[in-house]
Amino acid sequence: MKNKYHIKLYFASSFMLLFVMLSSCKEKEEKYHSIIDKIEVESKDYHGISTSSDIYLEDLKLIEITEGEHTFLIPERKSKIKSYSCIECHTEPLEKLQNNKKLKEAHWDIKLIHADKNTLNCATCHSGNDMNNLKSLTDRKISFNLSYKLCMQCHSKEFEDWKGGAHGKRLGGWAQPRASNSCVDCHNPHKPGFETRFPSWYNTKTEEERK
Amino acid sequence: MENKKWFSLNLSNRKKQSIISCGCEKTTENCNHNLVKDTEQKDGFEQVFDVKMNRRTAFKKLTASLLIGAGAVSTSCSVITDDDTKEKAQIDWEEQFKGNYKLMTDDEKNATVNRLVRSYELRTGKTISMSSKNAEEDVLFGYAFNISKCKGYMDCVSACVEENNQDRNSQMQYIRIHEMEDGKGLNFAEADDNYYHEVPAKGHFYLGTQCFHCDNPPCVEVCPVKATWKEDDGIVVIDYDWCVGCRYCMAACPYDGRRFNWSNPEIPEEEVNKEQHYLGNRLRKKGVMEKCTFCIQRSRKGKNPACVDACPTGARIFGNLLDPNSTIRWVLENKKVFRLKEDLGTEPKFWYFMD
Repeated sequence: MKNKYHIKLYFASSFMLLFVMLSSCKEKEEKYHSIIDKIEVESKDYHGISTSSDIYLEDLKLIEITEGEHTFLIPERKSKIKSYSCIECHTEPLEKLQNNKKLKEAHWDIKLIHADKNTLNCATCHSGNDMNNLKSLTDRKISFNLSYKLCMQCHSKEFEDWKGGAHGKRLGGWAQPRASNSCVDCHNPHKPGFETRFPSWYNTKTEEERK
Repeated sequence: MENKKWFSLNLSNRKKQSIISCGCEKTTENCNHNLVKDTEQKDGFEQVFDVKMNRRTAFKKLTASLLIGAGAVSTSCSVITDDDTKEKAQIDWEEQFKGNYKLMTDDEKNATVNRLVRSYELRTGKTISMSSKNAEEDVLFGYAFNISKCKGYMDCVSACVEENNQDRNSQMQYIRIHEMEDGKGLNFAEADDNYYHEVPAKGHFYLGTQCFHCDNPPCVEVCPVKATWKEDDGIVVIDYDWCVGCRYCMAACPYDGRRFNWSNPEIPEEEVNKEQHYLGNRLRKKGVMEKCTFCIQRSRKGKNPACVDACPTGARIFGNLLDPNSTIRWVLENKKVFRLKEDLGTEPKFWYFMD
């Protein structure tokens, strides 16, 4: 008799346990072990989306570049340079212009704070013979629009990150097509470091509370 | 709105007549069936009393609606109150009885958004635009933060406050930038998140925190009224009208990502961002939770969140985790990324990395 009662109790309790396990409060158990698994599986049959960055890029003057396996848009540069084209003033060789006392001094505001004098001077990037273009270390022509090709000669790590999208501010929206700032859109090429300044936010309430 | 889940008041459109299209396949003019039908809607009391129901449900419905609708009903009976007041009372009634946003059909979502826009117009005379845009398929939002690039300027914080209509009075901020000393690791206890000196300070680095939109969010699980949930595009949202303000979610979040409105949020009228989303930056009230929504009002339209747009250093990267060609995917696959408190299993969709 007692044994039978035990079996009954055993069945009842295991039934209860099963019930509790099945009707857990959690709505639904996630299908994936981790977010990385989820991304991997769910992006396998990715066919694009209707959201596009196009409307946010309409007003920007952009050019498309392809570097390695990456193709994206960068801002056009020449139209942003105040006195382009350069040969409008640079009609004669530099020495002649520099010795001409009648002319006003030009580019007086540019101070080169970029690497040291052994590594870099004006002529490292600018060519006296072809003022309208930049030049590579091996004296090859580089357009002002593609000035990143100049920077990447030394900053190869930054270049890799920039191509992939880990370095450089994104323009427009998050969707395709991708547009990113070129080097010179954030860094002044003659003084590429970011300045120190005061933060644009300070929470006086938090400060009071913490006193 | 035929299948509404609550009783409607009919305060302002009592004598509406409408033409019901007839079953016969003739045009309205040629059809000789009687088409003009008085469709006067019943108001709150009639709806309750004209429906067959037992005593218990009748009482239940009456007590609930009488309490909340008392003001509305009194306005409807008054001869002096103007149409605007009546319309406002009607909107308040409908808003009071609407369901949880998560369970609404698209029509219902649209209706509540229209009511909120109209209500704001009646109160302030200003027009806002409010969206109820749903998540798009094949989109899962993710975020990456470069701790070597952040210079601590906090442009993101002020942009976020302006974009998301946060309370200026309590100076609520979703984003915190922690100033950390080099060589001490990620030491939040010793970090300063409210500094005011020239930045970047020597020997320090900066790390921003906000809602991480966990894939396994503990805040969602503890909500007793299901007022917070994870949308299909991965954004963890709050229905501010369903939240009861218990702050369980605030306690459950291991990242201090949630904020509570202890007082009525105050924003100068001219500073109110009028591009809103129901689940995003629409104006909140006292006693509800809020937090970063990856700027749902922007991101669902393809824009970057305000913090990403405001960052002058490009330290913030946002995008679609399901797009194999997105920049966020490149970061995850090529940089040495980490997340905070990964061992908790919360699976944040917010990664940190260094150059």
